[in-house]
Amino acid sequence: MAHTSYTNCIGTFVFDDKKLVEEKLSGKKEILTNSAKMTAETPPFYVLEALAQPKYLALMREATILITKRKVAESLRPEYLVVQAVSNVDEIDKVANNLAKRLREWYELYNPEFSKSIEAHEKFAELIQQKTRKELLAELGMTEAESMGAEIPAEDMKPIMELAKQMSELYALRARHAEYIETTMTRLLPNVTAMCGSMIGAKLLAVAGSLEKLALFPASTIQLLGAEKALFRHIKTGAKPPKFGIIINHPIVARTKPADKGKAARMLADKISIAAKIDFFKGEFKGDALRKEVEEKFR
Amino acid sequence: MTIMPHKFKGIYTAKKGKNIVLCTKNLTPGRKVYGEDLFKEGKDEYREWDPTRSKLGAALVKGVSQIGIYPGSKVLYLGASTGTTSSHVSDIVGEEGFVFALDFAPRTTRQLMYLCEVRNNMSPIIADARHPETYHQYVTMVDAVFQDIAQRNQAEIFIKNCNAFLKPGGFGILAIKARSVDVGKKPKQIFAEVRAYLEKNTTIVDYRELEPFERDHCIFVCKKK
Repeated sequence: MAHTSYTNCIGTFVFDDKKLVEEKLSGKKEILTNSAKMTAETPPFYVLEALAQPKYLALMREATILITKRKVAESLRPEYLVVQAVSNVDEIDKVANNLAKRLREWYELYNPEFSKSIEAHEKFAELIQQKTRKELLAELGMTEAESMGAEIPAEDMKPIMELAKQMSELYALRARHAEYIETTMTRLLPNVTAMCGSMIGAKLLAVAGSLEKLALFPASTIQLLGAEKALFRHIKTGAKPPKFGIIINHPIVARTKPADKGKAARMLADKISIAAKIDFFKGEFKGDALRKEVEEKFR
Repeated sequence: MTIMPHKFKGIYTAKKGKNIVLCTKNLTPGRKVYGEDLFKEGKDEYREWDPTRSKLGAALVKGVSQIGIYPGSKVLYLGASTGTTSSHVSDIVGEEGFVFALDFAPRTTRQLMYLCEVRNNMSPIIADARHPETYHQYVTMVDAVFQDIAQRNQAEIFIKNCNAFLKPGGFGILAIKARSVDVGKKPKQIFAEVRAYLEKNTTIVDYRELEPFERDHCIFVCKKK
């Protein structure tokens, strides 16, 4: 009678006439190195039936915990780190905006005119730390006596200035992270980054999930990444289809006149799709040439 | 606290304020899995089973007539995610049973791992449910298959797994998310198509739509021929 053997994550089992006749269990150390030896094709049913015993199940549990922990650790791809970074920059933008509004409310009790005169939050937080109220008002051609600001004792100004200092640090952090994204994207996805810059490239990557997925998407999917809500509304209810997703922020699409925005987005997505495929399959650098093609069509 | 046995073995009901809620006996007393309430009675502890967060829980509340998962069952759970429902399945089958908890995403499996480390009857597996040939090395024959994955060909994957791992006469539970089969079609139509497909391969025992707990979802309970 012919023997058949089956190797799974806990060892090798020999069957004779559909009966389990021999078991060779792997040692703890072998479990992680065993994967190449495991039987590839799905076994006949009697094999799986013979293994459904408490003693094997307990061993399988220990083995799968070890193996799965390894698999989780090995599932990291370099682009996952950039995806986290780009999400973090978005997060900082939101937080910084909220804090900036609070800082202005607070500081305006002391010096409303200066706050009104400057729009950029970052500059605002920086200047109120560097200069006194007198100096800031002088630049506006005013004196402290003409201002609507109240006199605030130094001890009450301290928390305001502390917040301003944290704000400046937050903006500096954002700048450093943006720089990190720029260098990492240029290294990992040189063609996509040349096509649409590191931030838009990283956002596309974040929605797609991984470089592999982005590379395997058709261009029409890339065109609409980030517009899922509108797309599904279109499919479900027949509302107008969206023309672009994240790539609306790309300078080429953004500056095109409204009637041509859809066309620009379509062509840009085509070229980004090519760029992503080159990056994934490690082809030679073509990003600049691709970008030029689109730029010449839509200037 | 008054705990009453449910009509299915391994499942209980508890009185919580004015409501009657489902619960299972906690295999790891003192531990919560997803922030659910714990009820104590005597020396046993029970975990509330939230039907709005678990499709199997929703099916039970909707009065499903059979689930095929008993104390002592071995269950293949496809789409275990972070372990919300699979922890209750683990509670039902108890120390004598076993749950093969399979999921594809490393991110959610990380969460699942913490569960498997403390529950002696759960085994975490990272694999793609579409390809049984890639994970049969971590699985044995099972008494029941539960599948809750958001894939276009959910029914096909389910039949593939039942054929490979489910014992003859065993039960398979399939949660269908109509929106991942085809967003454009009417859910009712998709459910009918799935039913026709399943009927060719199995005997359908029960069918429930999961409104109002889950929108456009339904659950099929099948018996392997």
